[in-house]
Amino acid sequence: MDLLPDRLAWYIAGPLMGLCVVALYALANKPLGATTAYSETISFFRRRPFEAWRVWLFAGFIVGALIASILRDGFSPNLDYGKLGTEVPLGLLIPILIGAGLVMGFGARWSGGCTSGHGLRGCSSLSPASLAATGTFMATAVAVTAVLHVATGGSL
Amino acid sequence: MNRAALLVGAAFGFLVTAARLSDYQVIHDMLRLREPDVFLLMASAIAVAAPFLVILERRRWRTPFGGQLKVQRQPIARRNVLGAAVFGSGWAIAGTCPVPAIAMVAGGSGLGLAVTAGLFGGIALRDAIDRKAGRAPSTTC
Repeated sequence: MDLLPDRLAWYIAGPLMGLCVVALYALANKPLGATTAYSETISFFRRRPFEAWRVWLFAGFIVGALIASILRDGFSPNLDYGKLGTEVPLGLLIPILIGAGLVMGFGARWSGGCTSGHGLRGCSSLSPASLAATGTFMATAVAVTAVLHVATGGSL
Repeated sequence: MNRAALLVGAAFGFLVTAARLSDYQVIHDMLRLREPDVFLLMASAIAVAAPFLVILERRRWRTPFGGQLKVQRQPIARRNVLGAAVFGSGWAIAGTCPVPAIAMVAGGSGLGLAVTAGLFGGIALRDAIDRKAGRAPSTTC
């Protein structure tokens, strides 16, 4: 439908994302974070006790992203994955991505948050745990990306 | 409260897709330190949210659905740092993180589904370890 720009500028998207953190606190006294939303969604499907609002938050992520996709390019099933998708054959890429997801999920849950919960919500609250976690995952990710770049002869 | 969470989640998911944070290349270029946009996005989000939270807390804001506002702040624990290092490694490889991975799937990405499946598996595994050890799950946020 092309009702959205190709990429919303950081100076619009960033402040609005900050306001999402504020809105969830101001309305419901709850911290915005994706990792625990995943965890509670697992509990919901496994019929364990769960916090309903976190499952609704998870559902909201899907609905909002779907609306933005439809307004921009339309929902289009694909197997694209940027440069990683062109450099790595699909049969190898799928297990790599599942493995990377496993590592990310395990680490985020261990750490108590991810880029949203620690990076945005926690840093906005000036929480020492979140500031330390954010500094650590940023530095690690930049270092691992640099290693990947060198290890692949500059192709990634 | 559930409706507030749904609405805020939807706004957040919308913005993640609109800003192309669900695009591998955008995150990869950020982590290669080739473009500052995502760093600026995160910094501007924090710069806007932080003063609002301080003001609301000082004014003892009573939230419509959750009582008096209490902003969570935790001291640094070992697990925050160790877990973050593990998370950062996976983030660098996949070029996406938990909300953008959902946004990938919502945009039709089959490979986003592989990342999301891994995320669910990793989170379930960590929860299972904590449960077995009788520890409270990590709910910093």
